[in-house]
Amino acid sequence: MTAPVLEMERVGVSLGAFALRDISLALAPAEILVLMGANGAGKSVLLETIAGFHAAAVGRISIAGRDATRLPPEQRRVGLMVQNYGLFPHLSVAGNVGFAIRARGGAQDVDIGKLLERFGVAPLANRLPHDLSPGEKQRVALARALASRPNLFLFDEPFAALDTRTRETLRDDLRRFLREAKLAAIVVSHDQSDVHVLADRVAVLHDGALQQIGSVDEVFSRPANRYVADSTGVENILSGAAAHRLLPGMPNATLCLRAEDVGVLAAEARPESADSAIWLEAVVQDVVRLGPITRVTLDCGFPLVAALPRPEALGLAVRTLTTVRIPRASLHVLSGAGAPHG
Amino acid sequence: MTPRPVGGSHGVFLVGWLVGSLLIGFILAPLIGLAATQSPGVLLAVAAMPDVREAIGVSLLAALLAAALASAAGVPLAYVLARGGFRGQSALAALIDLPLAVPHTVAGIALLLVFGRHGMLGGPAEQLFGLRFWGSFAGIVVGMLFVSAPYTVNAARLGFEAVDPRLEQVARTLGVGPWRALATVTLPLAWRSVMIGVTLTFARAISEFAAVAILAYYPMSAPVKIYELFLQQGLGQSAAAALLLLVVSLALFLLFRLVAQGRVATGIGR
Repeated sequence: MTAPVLEMERVGVSLGAFALRDISLALAPAEILVLMGANGAGKSVLLETIAGFHAAAVGRISIAGRDATRLPPEQRRVGLMVQNYGLFPHLSVAGNVGFAIRARGGAQDVDIGKLLERFGVAPLANRLPHDLSPGEKQRVALARALASRPNLFLFDEPFAALDTRTRETLRDDLRRFLREAKLAAIVVSHDQSDVHVLADRVAVLHDGALQQIGSVDEVFSRPANRYVADSTGVENILSGAAAHRLLPGMPNATLCLRAEDVGVLAAEARPESADSAIWLEAVVQDVVRLGPITRVTLDCGFPLVAALPRPEALGLAVRTLTTVRIPRASLHVLSGAGAPHG
Repeated sequence: MTPRPVGGSHGVFLVGWLVGSLLIGFILAPLIGLAATQSPGVLLAVAAMPDVREAIGVSLLAALLAAALASAAGVPLAYVLARGGFRGQSALAALIDLPLAVPHTVAGIALLLVFGRHGMLGGPAEQLFGLRFWGSFAGIVVGMLFVSAPYTVNAARLGFEAVDPRLEQVARTLGVGPWRALATVTLPLAWRSVMIGVTLTFARAISEFAAVAILAYYPMSAPVKIYELFLQQGLGQSAAAALLLLVVSLALFLLFRLVAQGRVATGIGR
């Protein structure tokens, strides 16, 4: 097995009232991990701890096989990309990239011109950052970070505050760059689409503790607890009578069910078999079109949300009766809230 | 390009200009009056007076030294205040502002008690290092520094606060230590604010009269000399000396402003 490029072993960081607790994770070479969590969960603190801006009170951090727990940021070789890319506004494009080359002692084998050409920003060499588009800024920031020969990249919400189209373009560019450069990265994001486009694995942080880390499918389909279910956008979290109705054999269970797993059929549809799915009658409460997906809120005796790609054929209208199909395999029982997993 | 008022706010701007013009006129009128009432003969005669030239020289040098000392100690303090996040930070910021609120005669007496011949600092400084503040050039610098240092600290603090601390973090991850990150990223970005603060400190220092007159009447600084000319010779000579001081200090003030605005090359903030 290839040695991890980043390894955190039971790392704890105390920052006044906030603390990172018992963080253990490993990042393989060229692996992209997307880190999710609510505001205040500690995502930025975790990145800053890896980068060396907060001292670990306990635990060990190793980067590229070297113990980095006590190393200052400038010796860790970690490329930090902040929101808006953190280009130095008083330096030109060439100045920004040259900064990184000079910082590493002016490495003779790094040709600034070739680096700018590789990222397609050579014609912008003399421009100041405020004259650049978001895409150009990203490319300059990547060129600059690459010039410092990082072992891994850390991206702190790089696409926040961008419009949808720009966001998608830049995300695709970033994915291509990371895959081609074969560099490991941790990307902090609130956006589930970032996870699906970028992530090899996904981790969810809550209140300074990792709640779950695993493959995208595993974390999104089988969230470890309610925090993970919330962070990964699970629409239906059911407990009490609703949960009992779906899983009578498990009293006091809390279930989660993704909206895209809920099937909606015409009212007259009849179940073929109740073995693999649960069939319920429901009244349509609300129908909201969200681009290619339509969000349907249903009343099955308890509220349920379905996400349907093409609901027109069903003729769904508010207050009409319909039939809901819930595959048993899509029901997932949540463990106690806050319990780490994976 | 200056944004133009839109959405029916022209009236508000018009009233703003009209009322503001009164203040502009109020500031300009005495300066124009001072310049307009001088006869070239008296002006040249006063400019030729060795003690007037010496007093202006003392003021310029002392104000430059006060501005240099204020930046040497005030800029690091401003950085700490901008980035610190420590307990008592707002109390410390209020303390920095205190000299702005204290009448300068009070400041002069307080400084005399500390830096005077028998003061808690003045006495030991004279005994140990032969450094006398009472009635000396050093006393003028101390008086000027006390009343003017807050301008440097406040302007530099605002400048540092406006620099995203994450830029320093990025610089560190690119491979530079904390001092180099400060020198190559934060300081150049806060440079204009720092220079505006130093400019205001210089301007305030060169104009100080009361605190300086109490702590160090001699050697005479320009405001003290102008006051003495006013008492002994009347308005004619004192007004001519005042105009000379005004022209010299305005020229330096404008030079500082140009440096702060980046119109004079310094190699910093480029």
